[in-house]
Amino acid sequence: MSHYYEEMEESFRNSFEPAPGPVAEAKIRPWEKTQLVGKGVPRVDGYERVSGAAQYTADIVLPDMLYAAILRCPHAHAMVKSIDTSAAEKMPGVLAVLSGKSPGADLPWYGGKAAQSKLFDTHCRHEGEEVAAVAALTPYQAADALRAIRVEYETLPFVLDPAAMQPSAPKLYEGGNAVGEPRIVKRGDVAQGFAEADVVLEETFYTSVQMHATMEAHGSVAKWDGDKLTLWDSTQGVYDGVLFGAARALNMPFNKIRVICKYMGGGFGAKLEVGKYSIIAALLARKTGRPVKAMLPREDTFLCTGNRPEARMTLKAGVKKDGTLTALQLTNLSTPGAYASGTSVGYQVAELYKCPNVLVSESGYYSNAGRARPFRAPGFPSGNWCLEQMMDMLAVKLGMDPVELRLKNFTEVSQTRQVPYTSTGLKECLLQGAKAFGWQEARAAKKSDGPVRRGFGMAAGMWSGGNGSPPYTAEVRLFVDGGITIKTGAMDIGTGTKTVACMVAAEELGVPLESVRIENADTAVTPYGQSSGGSMTLPGLIPAVRKGAWLVKQQLLAWGAEALGVPAEDVELKGNAIGSRSAPDKKKPLEELLRANGVMDVIGIGNRDPNPPKKAINPFGAHFAEVEVNTRTGEVRVVRLLGANESGRVINQKTFHNQVFGGMTQCLGFALTEKRVLDRQTGKMVNANLHDYKVPTALDVPVQHQVVAVDPQDTECNLVGCKGLGEPAHIPTASAIANAIYDAVGVRPTHGPMEPKTILELLAKKKRG
Amino acid sequence: MMKPFAYLKAKTPAEALAALNSKGARIHAGGTDLLGCLHDHLFTVDKVVSISGIKEWSGMTGRPDGGLKIGCLTTIASIAASAVLKEKYAVLAQAASEVASPQLREQGTIGGNLCQRPRCWYYRGDFPCARKGGETCFAVEGENQNHAIFSNGPCFFVHPSDTAVALSALQARLTVAGPAGTRTVPIESFFLAPEKAIDRENVLEPAEILTEIHLPAPAAGARSSYRKIRSRQSWDFALTSVALWLQVDKGMVSQARCWLGGVAPAPWRAAAAEKLLAGKKLNAALAASAGQAAAEGAVPMRDNAYKVEMVKGAVEESLLRLLA
Repeated sequence: MSHYYEEMEESFRNSFEPAPGPVAEAKIRPWEKTQLVGKGVPRVDGYERVSGAAQYTADIVLPDMLYAAILRCPHAHAMVKSIDTSAAEKMPGVLAVLSGKSPGADLPWYGGKAAQSKLFDTHCRHEGEEVAAVAALTPYQAADALRAIRVEYETLPFVLDPAAMQPSAPKLYEGGNAVGEPRIVKRGDVAQGFAEADVVLEETFYTSVQMHATMEAHGSVAKWDGDKLTLWDSTQGVYDGVLFGAARALNMPFNKIRVICKYMGGGFGAKLEVGKYSIIAALLARKTGRPVKAMLPREDTFLCTGNRPEARMTLKAGVKKDGTLTALQLTNLSTPGAYASGTSVGYQVAELYKCPNVLVSESGYYSNAGRARPFRAPGFPSGNWCLEQMMDMLAVKLGMDPVELRLKNFTEVSQTRQVPYTSTGLKECLLQGAKAFGWQEARAAKKSDGPVRRGFGMAAGMWSGGNGSPPYTAEVRLFVDGGITIKTGAMDIGTGTKTVACMVAAEELGVPLESVRIENADTAVTPYGQSSGGSMTLPGLIPAVRKGAWLVKQQLLAWGAEALGVPAEDVELKGNAIGSRSAPDKKKPLEELLRANGVMDVIGIGNRDPNPPKKAINPFGAHFAEVEVNTRTGEVRVVRLLGANESGRVINQKTFHNQVFGGMTQCLGFALTEKRVLDRQTGKMVNANLHDYKVPTALDVPVQHQVVAVDPQDTECNLVGCKGLGEPAHIPTASAIANAIYDAVGVRPTHGPMEPKTILELLAKKKRG
Repeated sequence: MMKPFAYLKAKTPAEALAALNSKGARIHAGGTDLLGCLHDHLFTVDKVVSISGIKEWSGMTGRPDGGLKIGCLTTIASIAASAVLKEKYAVLAQAASEVASPQLREQGTIGGNLCQRPRCWYYRGDFPCARKGGETCFAVEGENQNHAIFSNGPCFFVHPSDTAVALSALQARLTVAGPAGTRTVPIESFFLAPEKAIDRENVLEPAEILTEIHLPAPAAGARSSYRKIRSRQSWDFALTSVALWLQVDKGMVSQARCWLGGVAPAPWRAAAAEKLLAGKKLNAALAASAGQAAAEGAVPMRDNAYKVEMVKGAVEESLLRLLA
């Protein structure tokens, strides 16, 4: 895991030393030919999801269950002077009211050494901070009770922008508003690099705050059985996120808390940690002796569950006439909001292209706004926005094709780590993507000079994660009738993990996909799996699944060889029996074989092996866009998108395509419509709802949307050869669209999102000269 | 807390009007706006009067003078799909087809669309703005990229209705029923500028209801169009919209009506553009000039000057398309 991502996930992911792999691992060879892996397979839980049978956290209803509602601070910056809950407590249906003074609710939360905040902190540093909570018989009674709680606030001056760095600015913390020291990444000597360059360009870029806007809101259902707590939680991590976080908050042993999340309605990074709502639900449930459900209203999810922070980036680039990069220098100033979180965007500047001289300097300031959280490739769409528009600017200046310029600076060696990639499909993504898109023909075609202009653009990208690493455990269990059940604590947050796990187990054991079932994400019964983040679930979990299945097979072959009197290589699993390949009449029912060995099932425990030493494992991609820009109205229509992505082995064509479509669509929103708007007069968010905060609709996504799946045949990265895809599929789309807009109308949209307003302002500026 | 309220499903116009004639009564037709307003605590109700079952107020019928009567409960979807409207009053069918999203068009009614409350994010949000009895319009110094470029204040919301702009270009007349009987209001006089009333957007008194919309008979040589510009392609209100109605005789524009949406607290008549077009043969230069004229008098705020350009471009484009 890269240090960039580690930093972003700072507090809730435990770090483990990789366990040494068992001796058996050496014998697992890459598949030579596959029966199932590589095909397009519908999701194993597709029926449940479309029929409504799948139970999401929001669907959980328990006998005697109460509903929680959380009172939030309406001010950008305030001190709670007093809370009067007496009227709320007397309201019909209200069974409990909770505030920071309630027994057991005085819990530490964000922060740590420098400044320690609390579950209900009297110092509210942004709109929406938790002040109190109630539990009532109905959600309506709970919401009504909130309005009866009387809170006296002392409002404080607030700060939202880089003025926070001024000494006179309102302070969020006694130590000031700077978020630590500037983070520097340095390689070579940029001054020398710029001196060697034939062309040096510098530009300032800005990307707005993007909200996760998950379809399922954040929430948790808590139920106590004696001293044991069960949490049904809409989370990306039943272990790292909710179990470990809740155990720490409630000071409970891990085995006394059971966290379940079978189906997830979207996280994108905003559900990597235990939420205040989960703990509030648990405290209210303990207080009332009844299960409590705390699903956040949509508005609250916009205020308090995270966002992709803004980025103010200045990038200077030097290049020789032949396109060779000589130096890249980036500064970034950003804010994580009121509490620490990652804001770094510089990784690709230092890593994507061969460049001997790099200087990245990034700093952050606290502001009175909702806290940033990891958001699908944290920092990467923003960093890509400046790097890949700069590459486009350089290509224009040099009179070089943008694809050609990128190929010129292609590298097979990680620039920041100085070790080779196990595989890099960047070159193939550029070449195959350009070919499938018809790039050269499109760029060569004569441009209309009418009011509606067409343009073509592209951008490349990579992701710092996508490698996957220990620890992960997959339990693969063979029943005597030949059926297989996989158990893992890993998540399927909508990406298709479960389907891919079943495919890999079926492949390894040579059984039909229908024979494989998976049970996941239940800390009481499934072994440990990391949170789904960093595009690491597939490359982390799936090798462990293969290994578990392989171990089951080894055991069967050994017992089978003994029972049938043939060599192990000759034994095969055939339905509910084992048999000899060479002598088909030699066979034995599984039940008989297993009973003879004192068991009724065979269990393989697959642990994730360490990654190869001195190698970099990263996924790559190149995205292409065709747009129409109406110069009269500023409207941008994305008419065509193509995503060429390389993430190691393509296990399931269908879920691969799905991920690329989804990632590009979400980045299309980042490109064109999505931004958090804070009122400068009050510091309050004005668009905290799904109407004013504009995620793309079906009509905004181009009908012509193509995926090119590049498979580099990586046999080194892990036992299956796969890398992660969810995030790399999301990274270069906005930059490709921006470059296409430049191609269409000759204005450079440096500030996102590219609303009609943005385009009209740029065109007006160009007209003025 | 949400105040408890009574609910009545009226079966006849008389029953509905009687029920509405009490303090704190509100009409419930499609409910797509009412429920949101209640959820956002914009106002409270004592009685919700459902009128959705009143057959007399639904559907379209021809008028003796060749015009058309549209009942207030006619859904936006059926207006968008109407062959008669598409042929004779294209601007209205087109405007309806651009309203909100398919689900909302199925549920929402034309009466409700005309009478919906402002969508200003300060009005809908947790801000004590002037329209809610507060002292200030937050948009003036605040986040005003979506706000009005034509308003005398003290409130700068933009009227959210697409169909209102289209009906203005068609010179519709509205029937209003109330305790004192019915009256007819030209749509031009229906909407109230904020300087006239800060707490409501039209002339309806509390116990009154907009029951019918009357369109004049289609004029010979008339053609019309609606163009809506928004941030995304569905479920979005207009940043700027243009309702055009032209009467063309032998290539000459004999009469022009040009109304704008998304730029003012009521549909905005671009009178200078209309005047410029009348009596002239349309060409590219005239279309561009008409666009310029349409933006005359605009007073943009810090973040919405782009709307001035948008108005010019949208009017120019609409003219050229309508006469192409």
